[in-house]
Amino acid sequence: MTTAAPSTGDLGARWSRNRRESSAKRVLYLVAAVISVIVFVVPLLWAFMRSFQPNAVITAPPDASTFFHLSFGNFRGITTFGTIGRAVGNSLIVSVGAAALTTVVATAAGYGFGSFRFRGATVAFGLILVTMMVPFQAIITPLFMELNAMRLTNNLLGLVLFYTTVNLPFGVFVMRTAFSGVPSDLEEAANVDGAGTMRTLVSVVRPLVVPGMATTALYAFLASWTEFLGALTFLTDQNLYTLPVALLNLQQGAYGSINFGYLSAGAVVAMIPCVVLFLALQRYYVAGLASGAVKG
Amino acid sequence: MALSGSQARTERTTEEVTDHRPARPRRRWAGEGSLTHPATTGVALVSPALAFVAVFVLVPLAFAIYISLTNWPLIGSYHFVGLSNYANIVHDDRFLRAVLYTIIYTAIVTLPILVVGYLMAVVVRANRRGSGLLRTVFFLPYVIGLSTLSFMLVLEAQPGSGAVNLVLKALGITDGTTAWLVNGPLATGLICVLVVWAVSGLTMLLLVSGMQGISRDVYESAEVDGASWWSRELHITIPMLRRPIAMSLIISVIGSFLAFTQFFILTQGGPGSQTTTVVMNIYQRAFVQLQVGAATAESVVLVVVVGLISAAQFWLLREKD
Repeated sequence: MTTAAPSTGDLGARWSRNRRESSAKRVLYLVAAVISVIVFVVPLLWAFMRSFQPNAVITAPPDASTFFHLSFGNFRGITTFGTIGRAVGNSLIVSVGAAALTTVVATAAGYGFGSFRFRGATVAFGLILVTMMVPFQAIITPLFMELNAMRLTNNLLGLVLFYTTVNLPFGVFVMRTAFSGVPSDLEEAANVDGAGTMRTLVSVVRPLVVPGMATTALYAFLASWTEFLGALTFLTDQNLYTLPVALLNLQQGAYGSINFGYLSAGAVVAMIPCVVLFLALQRYYVAGLASGAVKG
Repeated sequence: MALSGSQARTERTTEEVTDHRPARPRRRWAGEGSLTHPATTGVALVSPALAFVAVFVLVPLAFAIYISLTNWPLIGSYHFVGLSNYANIVHDDRFLRAVLYTIIYTAIVTLPILVVGYLMAVVVRANRRGSGLLRTVFFLPYVIGLSTLSFMLVLEAQPGSGAVNLVLKALGITDGTTAWLVNGPLATGLICVLVVWAVSGLTMLLLVSGMQGISRDVYESAEVDGASWWSRELHITIPMLRRPIAMSLIISVIGSFLAFTQFFILTQGGPGSQTTTVVMNIYQRAFVQLQVGAATAESVVLVVVVGLISAAQFWLLREKD
């Protein structure tokens, strides 16, 4: 080894300054972290615990003797009570459907905008972006009438189409960014080797844009799973309700007196897939925001 | 257009490719398409997305303008009433109150969302041990969604038995019997706390990647010069975060303006119409009172207002070079 050893004095001084400043910062960080966890996790854990308490316990002032009698009663109850069990299924169908459809259409459009050149491309892309500015809350009334005319109200497919439209602009944006990032040499090389557009897309380009697709699908699923206004407006048949609407009915006593235990259990069932999916696919979620906000 | 021109360019492509000369990056070509990426395929690829947007956004928008000029009762026949729906808006107390309420609500929550999100980003940006976990924890409420969180809050806002009152009672602040959801100001306050808690995580994420792009050296030299934490933030971080901050403000303001879900679930707009937001007012007009003409007139006004707010924010927060 020919490099001289760093002068210990210099390094030592810097290191001890870092150490001093570090410990004050470290304490602050620890305090912030602990408070944050309390403020953010405890309410969720509490809500989770509530779902195991029967209605009588929830609605009464806390009594130490009954408070911790936890049971699965609520969960058993909601599978048969009203239409909540059904609603979970409906939510799944709609969310997965919307996620899939959004991903397919957004990927195609992203590919078109990101890798192709054609007249009107800028205008078309601008149009899609502009629709992001149109709040769907404001067009929900005419949209209802239009879907009604197309016989798509009170219909899960109609809801899927609606959710797809709502999530499309963001998806197209993400996918276009993804495709723009594919080096042109790669596509050209594939073409030299004789691959047509479809084959290039599937075999060569796909691995590079799958993260974008995952992001799009994840966003669409999460948005559709918790969406409320659209489901409330477009669905009128009890058997078609998605989970948020079914829970609303439960809360308003549409099925008789309000059972808060069932409501809590229903909310937990609504919460779990979101948490699980997010924990498993975090990086795609964050990547989506980064591509949307920073590269914007 | 320059059809022959692009043809000539296309021929050049084939030549170049078979010559195995280093191909010029395709991106630099203006004009339509190429041999490998025909324009028609491009158009075909983007058509489905355009179709969705046209059918489910543009058509309803145009339809909205049309309906707002009638007195459509959702089911049954209607008549043209010209601009009278719009004229009536000026006198419509409920609508104006809803607008005022929404503005107040937006004004209350916007700054806390930004500040809390900023502080979260500060805590999380250093990538210390546990930063990833903290980032996840901060963002969880947003992922769970306002609808689910609202249902959970209904439980806990109950007088006498809900967690909110239990905690306040334990802290000695109240006697634990406050009925939050049937009192206008109290419900509003509770909803504001819920929203700040749930939505700050998004601001955090929008700001963090921007923050991590700032080199540490800049901070260290400022520290050596004796700048305090706040001074460093004010003069280094914030100026460099103009874009993410602007983006997060725009998203948060528009989101607050369009709030519906948490209000519908927690208070149904009550008591009376004390906690009715603009979107909820439109919903009630259209689907409860069945005055679709008037409701769509309000909707059109809403679209215009949201557009103006976005434009104003973009302009105010633009990069001043």
